[in-house]
Amino acid sequence: MHRALITSLFLVGLFLAVPCAAQEELAGTERYKLREASTGYYEEYEVIPGRGSPFKQWNTPSATLNTGGKGKVATYQADAHAQVSNYRHQRCESCHKETAHNNRHATRRNIACRQCHGTEPIAGVNYYFSPLNPIRRHAYVCAKCHQGASGSFAMYVVHEPSPLLAGTAESFPALYWVTWMMVAIAFFSFALFLPHTGLWMLRELFTRKKRGDK
Amino acid sequence: MRLKRFTPVQKAFHALLMLSFLVQAVTGTARMYIETNWGRTLAHPFGGYEGCLTVHKYVGLFMLFLFVCHLAYVLFIVMSKKIHSDDGLWLQKKDLKEFFSHLRWMFGGEAPRFERWGYWEKFDYWAVFWGMIILGTTGLMLYAPLETSRYFKGWSLNVALWVHRIEACLAMLHIFVIHFAIAHLRRHNFPMDRAMFCGDTDLESASEERPAWLARLRTNNELREKTIDDVSAIRMVVTYAVGLGAVALGISLVVGGLMNAGLVNW
Repeated sequence: MHRALITSLFLVGLFLAVPCAAQEELAGTERYKLREASTGYYEEYEVIPGRGSPFKQWNTPSATLNTGGKGKVATYQADAHAQVSNYRHQRCESCHKETAHNNRHATRRNIACRQCHGTEPIAGVNYYFSPLNPIRRHAYVCAKCHQGASGSFAMYVVHEPSPLLAGTAESFPALYWVTWMMVAIAFFSFALFLPHTGLWMLRELFTRKKRGDK
Repeated sequence: MRLKRFTPVQKAFHALLMLSFLVQAVTGTARMYIETNWGRTLAHPFGGYEGCLTVHKYVGLFMLFLFVCHLAYVLFIVMSKKIHSDDGLWLQKKDLKEFFSHLRWMFGGEAPRFERWGYWEKFDYWAVFWGMIILGTTGLMLYAPLETSRYFKGWSLNVALWVHRIEACLAMLHIFVIHFAIAHLRRHNFPMDRAMFCGDTDLESASEERPAWLARLRTNNELREKTIDDVSAIRMVVTYAVGLGAVALGISLVVGGLMNAGLVNW
């Protein structure tokens, strides 16, 4: 009797324990799913390494910007334009000629610079409390329109360099090389088939079709 | 007398692919040129910039569905019966030879004796196959950018967009210039090759252009079952209207695209 009871208790403990443990784990992942997707972190652990993380600054400023003589230091300032002379009477495009037109947000959706870069004083993107600082830009800026934007999503290059220009090999090598590869494929395919088809059409233009030939 | 080159299933695949490709070409070009008046005019019937994207996405999914159906169809055909190597679409050494002898013919030499498929037709098939994979993959990435950024870094969307664009331009130029020139505009096919639509291919011009195929059909006694009478005048008019409509649309897209290319912030 005792033996049967002990055996059955043992078996019950053995098989019921498994789903209990699994249920707890399941509840945990369910609860943290959205946060993980957004941050790449589960509690304090980085769960998807190699992805854009809001806790790390991935866009180390490398290019020298023309910021009224302050160089790239200005991107770390609370007021990036503090040193620009006659600032009040200028438009963004007056100085940022290229950046004003190298993004589809502006050219196609008519989004103004200030809708992302904020109101005066415009903080440099690397200033710690700037809404465009990579540690929070996905939540503070991108998510205003792209609901659910993650740190990785915010790595989309809004100010896209022209993919065929030589400078892009430095600033965005993947875009440069992949685009050039596609252009090369297109070029060789047309270099072959355009003259081929043109010659063919010319040849047929001067060839009468043979009729009634068996 | 007409000679059957394609089965009704193959013709249906081609018609659906043609229709969806044209919709994708118009909506895609409209979005690419939305900064110009021409682009906005193109986008207007589809509901502007946003409407174009919606149409483009759904038709894109349909094309991928069509591609999957085609793969299943090809697998079924290959598994169910033995296919003569000259009825298949694999590129062979013979195709390279025919390409060069065709080039020699263009400068006055003897015309090569083509089989059922010319090398340019095989190239067209594999070009669409490759294009489907490239455009399908990048298109799916751009279909749901937020979801994509969960698996790839956000900047891969920049790359995907440019790959999608260039491959689409390549596909459109190839179809609207080269495919149309060969199938419609060259003298022996003018105004259009009906092999893919109703009426099939003309027996006489096939025996001139593809004598090796005709010889094979004769020796295997398959010629009788492959020949049919010409279709009615009404179906022929519809065929010409559809085919030449596609040519007009395609060429106007190419001309408009080239004329407006300078007005876009690339």
